[in-house]
Amino acid sequence: MEPAETPTFQPRLRVLNREQALVIHNAALEILEKTGFRMEHPGVVEMLTDAGCKVTNGDWLRLPAYLVEAALASAPKQIVLYDQRGNKAMPLVDGTPFYGTGSDATFTLDLETSQRRRVVLEDVANFARLVDGLENIAFAMSMGNPENVPVGDIYIHVFAEMVKNTNKPIVFIADSGRDIARIHGIACKVAGGEEELRKKPFLLNYSEAISPLRFPQNVMEKLIFCAEKGIPICLPSGSNAGGGAPVMLAGAMALGIAENLVGLVIHQLAGKGSPFLFGPNVSVLDMKSTVISYGCPEWSLTQAALADMRDEIYGLPIWAYAGASDAKVMDAQAGAEAMFSIISSMLSRCDVIHDVGFLEYGSTSSLEMVVMVNELVAMSRFFTEGIPVNEETLALEAIERVAHGGPGSIFLTDDHTFEHFMQAQFLPVLLDRNRYDSWKEAGAADLYQRCNSEAKRILAEHQVEPKTKEIVEEIDRILRGG
Amino acid sequence: MSDLKALIEAVIKGDISTATAETQHAVGTGHNAQDILDKGLIAAMDEVGERFSKGQIFVPQMLRSAKTMQECMKALEPFFQEGSITSKGKVIIGTVKGDLHDIGKNLVSMMMEGAGFTMFDLGVDASPERFVQKAQEIEPDIVAMSALLSTTMPSMRLTIEALKEASLRDKVKVMIGGAPVTEKYAREIEADCYAPDAGSAVSKAKEILGIS
Repeated sequence: MEPAETPTFQPRLRVLNREQALVIHNAALEILEKTGFRMEHPGVVEMLTDAGCKVTNGDWLRLPAYLVEAALASAPKQIVLYDQRGNKAMPLVDGTPFYGTGSDATFTLDLETSQRRRVVLEDVANFARLVDGLENIAFAMSMGNPENVPVGDIYIHVFAEMVKNTNKPIVFIADSGRDIARIHGIACKVAGGEEELRKKPFLLNYSEAISPLRFPQNVMEKLIFCAEKGIPICLPSGSNAGGGAPVMLAGAMALGIAENLVGLVIHQLAGKGSPFLFGPNVSVLDMKSTVISYGCPEWSLTQAALADMRDEIYGLPIWAYAGASDAKVMDAQAGAEAMFSIISSMLSRCDVIHDVGFLEYGSTSSLEMVVMVNELVAMSRFFTEGIPVNEETLALEAIERVAHGGPGSIFLTDDHTFEHFMQAQFLPVLLDRNRYDSWKEAGAADLYQRCNSEAKRILAEHQVEPKTKEIVEEIDRILRGG
Repeated sequence: MSDLKALIEAVIKGDISTATAETQHAVGTGHNAQDILDKGLIAAMDEVGERFSKGQIFVPQMLRSAKTMQECMKALEPFFQEGSITSKGKVIIGTVKGDLHDIGKNLVSMMMEGAGFTMFDLGVDASPERFVQKAQEIEPDIVAMSALLSTTMPSMRLTIEALKEASLRDKVKVMIGGAPVTEKYAREIEADCYAPDAGSAVSKAKEILGIS
């Protein structure tokens, strides 16, 4: 008799029920209708007032809920990011989480000396190449603001550097409407034209408004640009609990969501149907050091809550973080904090998850940390896939064979083991399970040292399929200001 | 004449109503205003700063103590001759041109105020011209600048250049801070000091002015 196919339950984290989600959403709408927000882009003020917002005091606006409903209705529920060769790379359609690096770090841990030092442009290249060579890291961000390029063009230079060193999707930063246009120029060249890029975007812009409720002109320029060009964008505003937002998580989320909704409304007015990733980034301001924590449980909790709100209300793919730490070196704290956010973001099915590889609350990047996260993502993915239950996995025949197989009959020699062990078990590469003596003989390296060696190996061996000469020349022309 | 123990305790606890009542009481029992300030309020804030640096209290508790001190100062002000309140120093503070982030700058400003500095806050997006204009007006001891974005850091250099052009650079100490700012950058633009966080801003400010 054939056993019936039993669907596999995939473990899923939930932290909000529907009632809680609706109350937070309603609070966000109330903030927009009663408190309002400060809009510093005159063109956007005009666009919003034409659409039905009321000016209350100079550049303060109030936004009626029906505009939010309209924006939620027109924003695409499914977004697909492509790689730079036009292949589907990140389909944000079915709850598959994609992990990638972060941006804007001031420092990096030097691969040779292990010392913390200022980021230079070569580091951006190394991080991009490393990402290109790591199976579980889906997209690249710059991982630093290099000190050896002109600061006014910093985001153009790091974008160009990423394009030259990876073919994976890129999440990029820009300063204003000026540099984003030049970055777009490079991207069009890579994709083979503006329409091709619009059809198959390989890039996503990350911009930030300012909590509480402030929308600067340069940030709005980027939002409008992306809406018009069909470049996916996310626009968190730093509504960190106790910093830009109330100290209690529900209030911080309500404020951050309100700010995101303002962005979404403007975005959909400027480019109906353009792709927008939802996500307010709610971490905490640490009450001793005043840093924004990258290792705290609160950020993982609020983004899991946001995933629930996505499922209950918004339907838009969400922006999240994981695989980062407040530790200054890649130590046990770094591993613990990184894994906490990786597994929880995966269990709550966050969509685009950035900041992997950060130490020191996002101020220092580490190639070793990215390598470690690559393995922790694999470990988490194994866990999240659950336990398939069927004739093959129950293995009753193998049990029968081994039990009645006589002396010397063990599962290790059974065909069922040989045929299935690769899928049945998570097989770590860097997490060490050697017996003590062989670990010691091999040099007694800890995880940091093993990740360091692995990063060096990948950077030495991994070949990134190069861009054509024509594209590279065009990029260099744009970098020169052409 | 009673001692100021109850006042000190109330400031440390951040108990505004008790602290202001104790301030009135101290005045009523014959303490002079300068003593209440130095031996009461500032002594209390020194203890608060000490406890904070040891990790015994948190930022909101320290800020509540600073607010308590400010309220007590309002009660004391009528008892000072105009302009006779001694200050640790006058400080102009602002987030530099192009940058609209103010949480860090506000925190530094409150902590320095709590430590006895007189703060003149230019807010955010403060241009080099505004720093210069304010410096000409109030003759500060320190000009403090904040930036959160890498792209706005160059405004710090421009502000220092503007201070030089206005022949003010030699008359003030320049202190900088903010997420992307480093000690090295401070040296490059010839700032007098870099403060990595609000707590160290207070101690560095005292250090560059040579006061305790």
